[in-house]
This record gives sequence, structure tokens and C-alpha cells, in this order.
Amino acid sequence: MKLHEYQGKEVLRQYGVNVQDGKVATTPEEVQAIYKEYGQPVVVKAQVHVGGRGKAGGVKFSSSEEKAVENAKNILGMDIKGLTVNKVLVTKAVDIDAGTEYYVGMIVDRNVQSYTLMASAEGGMEIEEVAAATPEKIIKHRVDPVTGLRPYEAREVAIKAGFKGNLNKIADMMVKMSKAAFERDAVLVEINPLFVDADGTPLALDTKFEIDDNAMYRHKDVAHYRELAAEHPLEIEASEYGFAYVKLDDGNVGVLGNGAGIVMTSLDVVNRAGAKPANFLDIGGGAKADVVYNAVKLVSKDPDVKSIFINIFGGITRADEVAKGVIKALEDGILTKPVRMRIAGTAEDEAKALLNEKNSDLIKMYPTMFEAAEEAAKDANAAGGK
Amino acid sequence: MGILVDKNSKVIVQGMTGSEGAKHSRAMKDFGTQVVAGVTPGKGGQDFEGWPIYNSVAEAKEKHGANVSIIFVPPAGAADAVLEAAHAGIPLIVLITEGVPTVDMMRAVQEVKQLDAESKAKGGQGVRLIGGNCPGLVTNGQAKVGIMPNRIYEKPGRIGLISRSGTLTYESAKLLNDAGMGTSTTVGIGGDPVIGTTFADVLPMFEADPDTDAVVLIGEIGGADEEAAAEYIAQNMKKPVVAFISGRSAPAGKRMGHAGAIIMGDVGTPESKLAAFKKANVPVADTMPEIIDLVKKALNQ
Repeated sequence: MKLHEYQGKEVLRQYGVNVQDGKVATTPEEVQAIYKEYGQPVVVKAQVHVGGRGKAGGVKFSSSEEKAVENAKNILGMDIKGLTVNKVLVTKAVDIDAGTEYYVGMIVDRNVQSYTLMASAEGGMEIEEVAAATPEKIIKHRVDPVTGLRPYEAREVAIKAGFKGNLNKIADMMVKMSKAAFERDAVLVEINPLFVDADGTPLALDTKFEIDDNAMYRHKDVAHYRELAAEHPLEIEASEYGFAYVKLDDGNVGVLGNGAGIVMTSLDVVNRAGAKPANFLDIGGGAKADVVYNAVKLVSKDPDVKSIFINIFGGITRADEVAKGVIKALEDGILTKPVRMRIAGTAEDEAKALLNEKNSDLIKMYPTMFEAAEEAAKDANAAGGK
Repeated sequence: MGILVDKNSKVIVQGMTGSEGAKHSRAMKDFGTQVVAGVTPGKGGQDFEGWPIYNSVAEAKEKHGANVSIIFVPPAGAADAVLEAAHAGIPLIVLITEGVPTVDMMRAVQEVKQLDAESKAKGGQGVRLIGGNCPGLVTNGQAKVGIMPNRIYEKPGRIGLISRSGTLTYESAKLLNDAGMGTSTTVGIGGDPVIGTTFADVLPMFEADPDTDAVVLIGEIGGADEEAAAEYIAQNMKKPVVAFISGRSAPAGKRMGHAGAIIMGDVGTPESKLAAFKKANVPVADTMPEIIDLVKKALNQ
């Protein structure tokens, strides 16, 4: 679960990280009130789950009350990479020139089977850009998952990265960030910029925080951070059914299958057939007719979807159950788009018999995934899909 | 022969009395696996469909000489179940459970590796964890310690199979069967970001196995395990390897079902994996059926 900047700051504050104060607003009037309270220049920052907010015009320095209101009006309701800005964070502006901006972050790194701590004196930039242009400027360090980051390690990394200022305080902030990462099951945590003022004191100006979905059961106190409005409506519905579902941009073929690997490969096959997958949907193993029915219902609701490609390799999943689910969707009038299926394995013949009996042009079975994908692509492209 | 498991493996099931554990205990028995006992804390002393249930792995191991454990314990207790098995001295632990928190896995994997090193230093056989979020492993015609459909793995073949995905493992095994080749041992290493055994850990076992002539490696986007495998192959392997990469058209930043299948920045892109295999002279199949053509070609050279 991705957290907004203000939510990530709340989590880090719980661990004692010196975080820059700010207040959340949803209207220009609230922004005005916050400006009055602070009585000094502020920064109005869009709270959306995408990178590159600044470049998109979602982060604005506001030197006066009027400017703050004007910026709030522009930013609230703004569309950034397909997401609407409903909230802004208003923070006191900091004189960046009176200090230095650094970067620290921790990320789950499968290559070291733990977190990797990253630190760079090139703060304020996206770390991906630093990594691309000057990878030598990023210091990396494996954090032991049992001990967590210890102060001496943090100091070592800070020194290697060329951080100036109060080393003990900076290292302390890194240690607290590490504690937050382990205890809050972070997939990723970043403090960027980590601002060090003229006195050498560190302050977290901006943060990124993402929590491992598999660990959400032990973080119920922050479950309310999840904003359904920030997610695609079909993704919300899919999570209610317990499906692994990802909406994909610019697609026209709905894709569903049993298993993450087979669905990923199905996306590749649809692409190869000259169409674009509109979603990723894994129905899991051993799905019965009702699960398939719900999956078909979900995918059919997507207006981008012009045809549906179902790819099942039946082991525990029975092909006739899949066929029954699809047929029921047709009978209930839910299914109005052509379904092209490849169902190999258990009860394949029974499935074929059921479909033959139904004899509908809307549902067809093919012997290989390529043929099914090609037919689905043909149908989708003919229907004027994107 | 095959690798890791065979007809002499004595298997206990942690979480046998749960619905998944029960279903797959039966299926493993049907396959011919020596399933000797179950472990469910609090249910020790009970009989479950003819299997004795114990409160602890240590007890089950002592009574039955078990040397493999397969785990179906729910996510919140799964890493703890791994550690229990590792400390009880079970040399091969297979974690099927999907959805285990990554931090739990980081700690469990590190501890298992320490126990492995300690055991080997004392002349023991070590400790290996496979998974989590994996379909397990199977040596055709001998033993299945996993959840794959039995009938694809009945007839022994000579191709080793390693995969991050479950269903694609079944699919490729079936393709190999249909082509008259079949698999020796299949190892599903799992789709999570932190797993106990990687491609590069399994490849040397296939290289040393007299019953394996070639290896098929089913990778996917995310991480750099495929790149590490390519490097290992280039430097150490004489047997041919054929690769397949799933999710080549997936957009960056989106998690494709598997927690580990995500492109972050430049890490885990299909381009990087294709380049690594090309450099290692490992042919990469564009489609699943092409795997068969490439294996045939490699074996004829």
C-alpha cells in the first residue's frame, strides 16, 4: 500500500524522525487558513500516488496568501498521470540555499535478501535519475534484517556519501527510518530531500513510504490510509473478490487466467497478436464456476475491453467449471463481448461438450493460447478498440 | 535419480490438518511420496486419515526419520514454521504458503543460511529452504513435495526444470512430455521477492545430476536472479540451458500478481535479462512451444 507524503511523514514521526510540519487541505479556503496560521511563505504539494509531482506542476512555492490560494485552486482537481488531486499538503517553506539536500532510502532488495540502504549527496532529485546519470554517487549498504541498521553503520554510509553536518543526528535519523521500515513492513521508504540546515541539523522535507500488502494484517492502525478514491474502481471490486487484478492503460483485450505466470505470459501473447491487454487478472488455483463468473463479470464491466481472452492450464482447476462460469455469465446477460478461450488440462472434453451444446458465437475454445489470443485480438481490433 | 527429492525422501507436512495441507497430503501420497506424518501444534496425538499428527517438527522427525518438510501454514505463522523445521534439523524445507510478509522472509532466509553454514561446518548435510510462494518440487515417478498436478510428472524424463511460476511450470512440463522428452526433477523456486533458493542455487545440482541432460529455466520480470543465473551458466555449466521470460510486455512499476514480478527503475527489465542470457549463449524462447524446439536443437548439438 502506497502512502501519501503526509501519511508517510506521520509514520516516520511516530519513530522520532524530525519531519517538517505541514497540514492537509482539500479546499483553497483551508489552504488560506493554514497560510494565516503559519504566517510565512509555504509550499503547496499535491498528494497523489505518482512520482514526478513537481514536474507536473503539483508542487508550488507560495510567497503570499494570494499566491497560496491561487496555487491551491490550480493544484486541487488537477490530473497528474491519470490521478485526480483531492488533497494538498501545505508546509512551511524552507530556504533550501541556507542548507544542503541529501537522499536516504531503504528498499527491499531481492539480490541481498534484505533491505538495501541507499544514500546520496545528490538530494532533491529522483533517485532513479541519479542512478542513471551518476550511479557512483549512490552509496549502497545491506541492512541486516535481524539487527536492523546500527548507528555506526549509518555514520559509515553517511561519510562515504559525503554528508556534511551533525553526523550523529543524521545517522540517528537513518536508524529511526530503518526501525520504521522493519516495524512497518516497508517495501520502500525514502527521505528526499533530507535537508541539513546551517547548524547541521537534519530535517525530512519529503518522504515516500510503501507498506507490504502481505503485512497489512499487522498494521490495522494505518489501514484507513488506503484511499479507495485513489484506486481504479475495478481494482477495488477485484480486491473484494480476492483476485490479483491490475488495470493496464490503453488496452482492448480483457485477460484472465489461473496463476500469475500464465497471466503474465497471456499479456505477452496478446501483445504479440497485435492487440493490447486491458488488465491482468489471476483467478488463482482450483477456481469453481462462481469464481470464473465473477472474473468474467469484472472484466466485462471495463469499457476498454472489447474481447476477452481466457487462458487456463487446468491442473487443480477444472476446464468444465470454467466453461460453466462463462456460460452462466452469458445466460445472465452479463457477457456481451466475445470470449476466446484456451483451456487445457483437466476436464477439457467436458468443457468442450458444454460449449458445443450452448453453441454461441460469443464463446469459443481454441487448442492453443496463440490461436485464442489471435482471435481475441482480431475481435477487439475489429470492434474499434484502442 | 534427479535432484533434492526421490523415492527415499521421508516427508512431513506442517499444517496437514488445514484444507490445503490435507488436500495436498493426499495428492502427494497418491503420487507415491512417502508422507510419514503431520505437524499441527495442539493436535499432537491425533490420527489424521491414517497419518499421526505431532505437536512439533522435532518430535515428528525423531519418530519417523523425516528429512523433508512441506509447509502449508497460513502467512502469519509461515516464517516461524520454517525456523522450527530448520532448528529441528530438517535438511530440506519447502514453503508453499503465499502472502508471507517480506520482512519475515528476510529474517527466516538469513537464519536458515546461518544454520546451513553451521551444519556444513560440522560435516552435516546443511539446511535448504525452497520458496515461499512456490509450487514445490517433484522428481518424476519418485516423489512429489508440492502442489503440482500429478499426472504431468509420472513418467521420468531427462530435462531439469526450474521456474519462478507455478502454472508455467506445469505447462512447460506438459509440453516436454508431449514432445516425448519429459522432466527429471522440477523445482518451483517461488514468486516472492525474498526466497530461500534461487536459479543459481539449483543449476549446479542439475549440472551434477546424471539423469539430467538439459535444463529449462522459466524466469519472469523483476529482480536480477535471471542475470545471476546467466552468469553462473556462462562460467560453470556444460549442459545446455534454455530460458523463457514471462511478463515481457508488462509496464514498469506494476506488480504482476507475484510480489517479486515488478520492474523498479532499471532493475528487473526483460531487456536486461535477454541481454544477460544472450551474453551467456543461452537461447531464450519467445513462446512456450519454442522451448521445445530450442531444447531439441541444444541436445542435438
